Parts: sequence; C-alpha cells; structure tokens
Amino acid sequence: MQDAITTLINSSDMQGRYLDDTSLENLQSYFRSGDLRARAAMSISANTSKIVTKTVAKALLYTDITGPGGNMYTCRRYAACIRDMEYFFRHATYALLSGDPSLSDERLLTALKETYNSLGVPVGATVRSVQAMKEVVNEMLGADAGREMGVCFDHICSGLG
Amino acid sequence: MSIITQAIANADREARYLSRGELNNISYFFQDGQQRLRIASILTNNVQLIVEKGSQRFWQRCSITPSNSGNATFQASCLRDQGWFLRLISYAVVVGDIDPIQASGVKGAKEMYNSLEIPLRNVAECMRCLKEVTLDLLSLEDAAEVAPYFDYLIQGLMP
Repeated sequence: MQDAITTLINSSDMQGRYLDDTSLENLQSYFRSGDLRARAAMSISANTSKIVTKTVAKALLYTDITGPGGNMYTCRRYAACIRDMEYFFRHATYALLSGDPSLSDERLLTALKETYNSLGVPVGATVRSVQAMKEVVNEMLGADAGREMGVCFDHICSGLG
Repeated sequence: MSIITQAIANADREARYLSRGELNNISYFFQDGQQRLRIASILTNNVQLIVEKGSQRFWQRCSITPSNSGNATFQASCLRDQGWFLRLISYAVVVGDIDPIQASGVKGAKEMYNSLEIPLRNVAECMRCLKEVTLDLLSLEDAAEVAPYFDYLIQGLMP
C-alpha cells in the first residue's frame, strides 16, 4: 500500500535520486494539509450512516432501481447496496488520509467492475451514487475537505467507469 | 509503509474507520512533517561533503580495506554506496519509518558484501563514520531524529 510519501520515495529510489525540491514541496503541502485531512476523517467516521442515508435518498431512493425489477429490490439487495456504499466511503476516507487517491486501487477497485458486471449490478447507478456521495460530503465537510474527498470519489468513479 | 498506510492497513483488515488514537498519531506525524523534510533537505544538500568526510574518517580508522587499497573502482564503489545509504536514511527520515532502509538497504546486504569479499565489519564501521559526520552537521534536536536510523542500518550490516 502506498501513500503520498511512500509513492515519492519508491519512485525516487528506483531512479537512485534524492528527493528533489519539487518532491519536498509536494510533501510539504501534504503535511500542511494534514490537519484538515485528519479532522475530516474524524467527522466522517462519526457520521457514516447519516451520509449513506442522505446519499441513497439523493441518488437512488426515488428511482426505478428500488422498485420490483430494480437492482435494489428486495431488502437483501438493498442491504448489499448500502454495504458497498459504506465500503466506497471508507476507502475514500483512507485515500483522503494517505493523500493518494490510487490507494483505493489495490483493495477496492481491482476487478470491482468485473465483479459488478457478473453480479448484474448496474455500474451507471453505482457511479451516480458515488457522485451523490461526493455532494453530500461536500455539504458536510465544507469546501476544502470536500474538494479533497471529491478527488478520491472521482478516482473511484473512473475505476468503475 | 508510513504510519498512515500502516494504520489504514490495520483498519481495513477489520473493515473499520481509523480510531481516534490512530488519527491523533497521524496528526502528530503531520505536525512533525516540516522538521523531517527540513532534515532531509539538509542531508540532500550536503551529500558530497558528508560522503567525503565520512570516507576520510573511515580510511583513517580502517586503513586496510578494499576501498583504500589503491583500486580506483573499489574506491568509487565505496563512495557510491555511502551516497546510497545516506539516501535511504533521508527517505526514512521523511517517512518516519525504517522501511526504506530495510527494504532497499539491509535486506540481502550481508550476502552481497560477503560475496563481493568486502569485510562487513568495515562496512559497518564506514556507516558509523558516516553517522558521526552527519550528526556533526545537525542541531541536537535534528541529530536525535536521524541517529536511530543510522543505528538501525549499522545493526543490519553487522557481521
């Protein structure tokens, strides 16, 4: 697993270079944003279920997907859906802390699209709900932290799309 | 792995968010970040000086060693390796963990130097000299941050 720091170190090590000024500046701004990230992670973990509820209301609840024939129909599927949303959310929070959106690749996004396709889960609706999650989080955390989380959510969307 | 990825990996194994304690530790890590970056750039800007002084001290202490035998290749390799080890130390300072030293510097190092017929005792002594001249350059507080990484490296190279 890599974060903003280890990513830079590993690539410098492969080239046998010391961390150059650009890398150090990048890390400096990452460390400076650390307080913001840690605070955001703290308030997120206290509010996950609320955020998921709002997200479902925003993107999925009043659409065909929750009715008979939809992929969230029957409680079992509904439950699986909100569980997955919590996964996305948790991994986006990890990525926020690490400062490297690609952190989600290894444990969340690898083969996720294929899994969803084989289970018949509509990827379009999933992406829509991740986008809705982004909006909900943005309202809750404010612009700065919201923007950082937005980057992580967008990365998840592009992994699905 | 940094303290951040370490905490994330632990949390993910249990499918939970990071605990308050873990987040507090990460916050401290962020706060100390500027100091660690400053130390790393001091090391980076003084590589040549450190390696030069370190080698002189080393050859005084261990005059009978391949790099001091008059063989230019051996001498150049010795200087190069010192630069490499110092680089790994600078990474470790930045990430706040021994991981870069362990992964790229210590694992397999004994086997490599043995097969090259370079006495490990001398390699370790060389690192000790490198440590001494590096710490001379730093303030007391910065030196206290860097020293443990050198100690780990030296320990890992001891025969």
